[in-house]
Amino acid sequence: MNCFEARQEFTGFWRGVLDADRRAELLAHLKSCAGCDHAFRVFALTAPVLHSDAEPASRRAPSPAREFSLADRPRRFASVARGQARPQRWFAMCAAVTIFAAASLAAYLSVTAPVGSLTDELSGSETVSPPEATVDLFSEPTLQMNDFAS
Amino acid sequence: MLWLSARKETGWSLEPRPDEDLIAEVLDGRTEAFTELAARHRPRIERLCQRFFSDAEIARDLAQEGLLRAYTALSTYRAEMPFSGWLRAIVTNLCYDELRRRRRRPEELVGDFSAPEVQWMHLVNHASPEDLVSAAEERRESHDLAHRLLDTLRPEDRTVMVLKETEGLSISEIAQTMGWSEAKVKIRAFRARQALRRQAERMLATGRSIRAER
Repeated sequence: MNCFEARQEFTGFWRGVLDADRRAELLAHLKSCAGCDHAFRVFALTAPVLHSDAEPASRRAPSPAREFSLADRPRRFASVARGQARPQRWFAMCAAVTIFAAASLAAYLSVTAPVGSLTDELSGSETVSPPEATVDLFSEPTLQMNDFAS
Repeated sequence: MLWLSARKETGWSLEPRPDEDLIAEVLDGRTEAFTELAARHRPRIERLCQRFFSDAEIARDLAQEGLLRAYTALSTYRAEMPFSGWLRAIVTNLCYDELRRRRRRPEELVGDFSAPEVQWMHLVNHASPEDLVSAAEERRESHDLAHRLLDTLRPEDRTVMVLKETEGLSISEIAQTMGWSEAKVKIRAFRARQALRRQAERMLATGRSIRAER
């Protein structure tokens, strides 16, 4: 038995459905292969839930067999049955809408409001206007009559 | 001969009636036939719910809710797929929704273990494979620790693991059951296996270190 085959047999071994020869082969392989032995121990940690057909005896609670009844709706699903949304879901949706609206308003104000106007009003100082341009570097020079005289 | 035909007509046959016959009866208005259908499938779906939730009461409630939803939607059932598969799809989706509702983010594996849990981890580390199998059948903590490990997975990953490992469904069957794409199921199965192995190795190492300290 190689490692691949051995790992394929873990579930059958755990459930006790392997025939005697196959079981002996698997056990011999686990003894000789440290990698597969470790893999089996990792497998064994989740196998009680994922690969067992029955719960351990100490866990089984003696509960009476439940008869199906249309009136027997579990309490945790009662609101769903009446077509109501769960309150915490409504709360989360309202909170998300409020945060989105606040973020949109803040983004809009940051684009449209003049920079510094609010702080200027609060501090009482006059708005400082930018200095007027004295030299226009990019306009064409205007020719005067005196330019041609020389 | 007469007795045999009478038995057949009156439904006294020892053979259990097929699910399809019971469904047809319910749809004809004889709703009590659903009780028989529910009794037939309840143990299997309760067991399925127990793979998702360690609390037996929650598992029972989910199974009951699944049966109620199946009853309500019975007119939409098509005989192309077996009733057991259809019911499993309803219950699995219910369990998945409940997992998501309870926990948006996967839980971290917390290192506070009880004495029996440490003992079980010691067994997993050192006992022979045969002893391990027989001990797991008796020990409650083997189940509790397995649930703690599975609780570290995301709801999607856990659902894929349960359907693949315990129900033995293929990738396409899981995709059909959950209404996901096959690519998503493959990715979730791969990540679930990786995450589970990582957490299990951490747990084994924790067990070794706790044992050494004590």
